[in-house]
Amino acid sequence: MERGYWIRSKPLYDSLVWKQQATGHVVVAQGEGGIAVLKLFQQMCPREPIKLLFADEDSAARKYADIIQTLVPEGLQICESEQAVLAALREQLPDCLMGTQFYVAGSEAFIWAVMDELKVYGVQDINVEKELSGTLARSVYCVHCKTTDKNVHHSIHQCSGCGRHLFVRDHFSRRLGAYMGVMVDAEEPGNIPAAEEIYP
Amino acid sequence: MNMAKNIAFKQETFRDDYTYSNSAEAIRRFPFPFAEDEYMYSVNIEQHDGGAPGSVFEHAIDIDEHYVAECEDRRITLEKDPGRYIALPHMKDAQWDMVELIMDSLSTDYPDLFQLSKDGDNWHWINKPLNIDQKFVFGDESTLPMEPFEYVGRQVQGDWVVMDQRDDDLFADMGIITSQADWSLAFDAGMSFKEWHGPVPQANELGIFDRALKYLLHLQYGSPVRRLNWTMTVNPRLDTSPEEYPLWGPDNVSVTADNVGQKVHLRVELQALFRLPRSNAMAFSIRGYLASIDDLKTYPRWAKRLRRVLTNLHPDLSEYKGLDNYRQLVIDYLAPMDDGADLGLGTHPE
Ligand code: HEM
Repeated sequence: MERGYWIRSKPLYDSLVWKQQATGHVVVAQGEGGIAVLKLFQQMCPREPIKLLFADEDSAARKYADIIQTLVPEGLQICESEQAVLAALREQLPDCLMGTQFYVAGSEAFIWAVMDELKVYGVQDINVEKELSGTLARSVYCVHCKTTDKNVHHSIHQCSGCGRHLFVRDHFSRRLGAYMGVMVDAEEPGNIPAAEEIYP
Repeated sequence: MNMAKNIAFKQETFRDDYTYSNSAEAIRRFPFPFAEDEYMYSVNIEQHDGGAPGSVFEHAIDIDEHYVAECEDRRITLEKDPGRYIALPHMKDAQWDMVELIMDSLSTDYPDLFQLSKDGDNWHWINKPLNIDQKFVFGDESTLPMEPFEYVGRQVQGDWVVMDQRDDDLFADMGIITSQADWSLAFDAGMSFKEWHGPVPQANELGIFDRALKYLLHLQYGSPVRRLNWTMTVNPRLDTSPEEYPLWGPDNVSVTADNVGQKVHLRVELQALFRLPRSNAMAFSIRGYLASIDDLKTYPRWAKRLRRVLTNLHPDLSEYKGLDNYRQLVIDYLAPMDDGADLGLGTHPE
């Protein structure tokens, strides 16, 4: 394709910035998303109530919970794991009023796992601020066998479900929280390009 | 005279031994899409309010000689992969809208083949070509053997996407898709208009999707519109889905100078859009017509036109449509027929 071609379903992520005109703010972050949270709290904090759910990545060298704890005066809940953050969010969502603004930071898989929870309550994609942090790892949906593999760093990726070698497209499904993987050697079986780490 | 009386349904296949073929009549009414020697995407939308008798535009939903075989091919595909049918839970009203749209259109336009009688909500549907006789209560899902949209979707040619309209956008929240040109319903379900069109090259830069969406959001009930889209397919295969790409991918590199005339097919999609009354959703039908290069060649005007369009095609469109492996072979095959004469405007065969 000519230069200038890109697939518009590919989400673009921004830096978190407080939004005006909200009745409350809910920040949800994981792992390297801690940096995004710290950047957010360096900005002028809004007056409305703030709730922050955070979990460090167990395996990561860098941890943020302690620093965050010293900087965020109220509404902070440190969780044990990513799953615990999602569970806490699920539990507290029904109390969040209309007009709440949401902020999410972390890996792409985490961002869309949070979106899954928010969608249940009718929160629209465009009303959620998202910052991708730490890793470009992708979730890849194999269009042939419907398996979704998480933490994919390479294209070409070998599907854990059917073993096919998948080219990872930029076409992204928000519902599945994943990019489309398509068999790379369908036309000429066995002709498989080398896998490259392009999502470090 | 009602054309429907004359339809002789073919016994044929769209896979394995590929016995699909077109009658001379089917070729004559083929919706050839090229009015000029060059093709580029455009907002080619027009009213879908009837066309010349016998043409594919005559009725809201066209039924032709391939009806029975296409329904069978859909059945086989759905059996292998039930995920080709998707209806998100909030689409219940739209499901019944689709039952009404399809049954009303078919029974009105082809009364010899399809009959519908209504006594309040008690409906009686007869589909003669498929030997179906079904009484059910409109609005009561338990009176049909499966979800209402899947039920009617299995009895009509062409793929359907039904979109929910909200926040000034359209969302692909329901569909029955078994004959698509390499896109996946299971993957695209729930996407917005711009998202599912994400992979299409060039069109966004031309502002086509902005204008088309704006136009569609105001589509009125009772005033359907249509457009044509096209691509090419090796072998008369309906199920060129990404799901089955491992199966049909090798065909793309199987075209030679000797077999190009029979193997390569022009695939034209007659796409119609209908506003639905209860749900305010929008139905999008994608009705495919397949004609081999040899079929088309029976009309020299079409042969010349196709050769010129393929010669002038933007490389991004050629790549996106997957024609790169065999486009030149088609051009070369048709070259001896092209005397360079000015063809004038229009899609007509002669
Ligand atoms: C509203 C209902 C519509 C639906 C559900 C729909 C769906 C699709 C899908 C799924 C694709 C394939 C994308 C891929 O490669 O994954 C596509 C392609 C395309 N669509 Fe639409 N579409 C709709 C309306 C329109 C309209 C109104 C226009 C323009 C006026 C349009 C223009 C196109 C074009 C130019 C392509 C590329 C086709 C090709 O080169 O083969 N679509 N559409």
